[in-house]
Amino acid sequence: MKKLLSLLLVLTMVFAFMAMSGTAFAADDTLTVYAWDANFNIPALKAAEAAYQKVNPNFKLEIATQSGSSDVEQAMTLAGSSGDLSSLPDIVLFQDHFIQSYVADYPDCWVDLQLADIDWSDFGAEKLSYSTIDGVHYGVPVDNGTAIFAYRTDVLEEAGYTIDDVTGISWDEWLEIAKEVKEKTGFALLSMDHSGDDLPYMMMQAEGLSQWRSGKPNLVGNEPFERIIEVIVQGAKDGTILLANSWSEYCDQTIVGNQTAGVMNGNWIIPTIEQVAENSGKWALTTLPTLDGGKDGYAANGGSSLYITGNCKNVDLACDFLAYTFGGGEGAMETYDNALRDGGVITCCISAGESEVYQEGVAYFGGQAIYSDIVDMGAYVPVVEQNDYHYTARTYVGNAITNIINGGDLESELQDAQDQIEFEMG
Amino acid sequence: MEKRRRAVGWAFLFTASAMIFIFSFYPMVSALITSFKTGSSANMKWADPWYNNYLRMFKDKTFIMSLKNTFLYLIIQVPVMLVLAMLLAQLLNNPNLKCRGLFRTCIFLPCAISLVSYSLVFRTLFYDTGMINTILMKFGIIHENIKWLGQTNTARGVIIFALIWRWTGYNMVFYLAGLQNLDYSVYEAARIDGANGWDTFWHITVPQLRPVIIMTVIMSINGTLQLYDESVNLTNGGPAGTTMTMSHHIYNTAFQGKANFGYASALSFVVFILVAILAVINLKVGDTRD
Repeated sequence: MKKLLSLLLVLTMVFAFMAMSGTAFAADDTLTVYAWDANFNIPALKAAEAAYQKVNPNFKLEIATQSGSSDVEQAMTLAGSSGDLSSLPDIVLFQDHFIQSYVADYPDCWVDLQLADIDWSDFGAEKLSYSTIDGVHYGVPVDNGTAIFAYRTDVLEEAGYTIDDVTGISWDEWLEIAKEVKEKTGFALLSMDHSGDDLPYMMMQAEGLSQWRSGKPNLVGNEPFERIIEVIVQGAKDGTILLANSWSEYCDQTIVGNQTAGVMNGNWIIPTIEQVAENSGKWALTTLPTLDGGKDGYAANGGSSLYITGNCKNVDLACDFLAYTFGGGEGAMETYDNALRDGGVITCCISAGESEVYQEGVAYFGGQAIYSDIVDMGAYVPVVEQNDYHYTARTYVGNAITNIINGGDLESELQDAQDQIEFEMG
Repeated sequence: MEKRRRAVGWAFLFTASAMIFIFSFYPMVSALITSFKTGSSANMKWADPWYNNYLRMFKDKTFIMSLKNTFLYLIIQVPVMLVLAMLLAQLLNNPNLKCRGLFRTCIFLPCAISLVSYSLVFRTLFYDTGMINTILMKFGIIHENIKWLGQTNTARGVIIFALIWRWTGYNMVFYLAGLQNLDYSVYEAARIDGANGWDTFWHITVPQLRPVIIMTVIMSINGTLQLYDESVNLTNGGPAGTTMTMSHHIYNTAFQGKANFGYASALSFVVFILVAILAVINLKVGDTRD
């Protein structure tokens, strides 16, 4: 029995070593990549692999599926802290909001894209602002985080409104309409995961403004920001904005559970909306409201890009692959078409968005050509000041909103949030 | 022969000690050194002054909140849980009870469930439109959904309730084992002397179970101070960070967003010291030897 056990132990160890060396010593035309979403960005990478294989038949992309984006961040932290980059793959998919601080903290972990033949003017400026550091491009955009506001047109109709009535309006008008919708239909008109509340960020970006000024949090005395917080608090009190306590409650209860007739988030939320088959044809997309109304609001939330790591043995191949596929090269159209079909990944490469696949109407959204609409909207997203402490600010602003809803004073809660953010930064 | 045996003994001892040293003591010392440093983990510098990370805590509102939360859980949950565990152990120790094995298994069963999965189940139960609210509504006890996880006090209550559900059976098993070691003749003698149930419990059971009670108290305090899974998975620290525990805050500092390993190490040492202090007090209070 003991012998059997030790034999098993030895065998598992051998297998573990073999599995490790399998990824570490890849053949010449093989690249390894870390990505995390089997329904979203992994189909996009598979599409790129297939497209690139047409010009380089020996090429192979080994995709190591991670359980979430934080796995990739922790792998980079580990490699960067220890100075041992050998554990890293050739390419990683990385969250836009984190890349600036990771390049600053662990410069050896990254390789810039000066060798890659990419026409950067083919991408939205806002998207590139994340992956460009001191004028040098580090990342090739994959998905497009352009924010959309999706409405249930049947619910709006029941309350006497159309999709045009909620396009280009002010938030005050929106609150009034939302109240009426709530009274007549029982539906809320917006929901958000309040444990990671992206509403203030998106609403500020739609104004062309930031929660940051010269690298410092700019919350207290920032009039548009205070007005935005008031809108969220008012909506929450009216019951027209549902603030869920967790991501799963946001998705499963408020959206899939048919509690809200409006969803505002990065367009990657669309597959979640589409999970409810019986609502097909009832949704429509439009732009975001703004504080003063009279114009369309554009914002982006949560996207990622592909980066070459410091452990890449064949930088030329990696650059060529990225430029040919996601970077707008000859394989871009094929890559992005299949990425859209298989994973719902929407390009932010403007020329690839002209493909026929993008012009097709989507039945779920009443035949609206949502993908080309989103690519168009992406070009208008304003560049606003970003900060490495984006998620820290999100946490404390979310806390402030909770406290204000529960009766706290706006000024002092924002002061508190600002103090906390500055504390974590300092 | 004797010499060889001794050499073999030393060899085993040495390997074990070396492993404990490498995998336990070395990281602890290393963490202590890290706690005096600051900066990105690739390029750490000595903090200025060197104890700056420890000073920083007093200004960290999130840390102070998490400290308060952890002690609140400790003060409410540990006594309630241990009293319940003792009560259940007494009930289930009754030799005349039918299906004892079944009841014991049922009460111990929650401990066999992974911390993450039970936290997620509790979170689902306490959603605004979750099962608890639905049932309460159906029976007309409430007329509007209670935001269990959206309000500070109810969210804390849910965490404490979850903890009690998860850990009572675990402690009960220790008490049961302790009770089964007690000599039945002592109880018979007490009954002949006219002691009632309450007297026997306080004057015979409790004193004899003292070592077991001390052990469960230390383990519960230790476990509660290191509470992590429930805070992360059940409430994610919310609402507004008012249910966050110390370990959760340490994790966030070290691994969420911009890594700050220096400060996180300093925070971990504070938890370590707190656990040590409480354990020493507990041992002193429980020690009746002169």
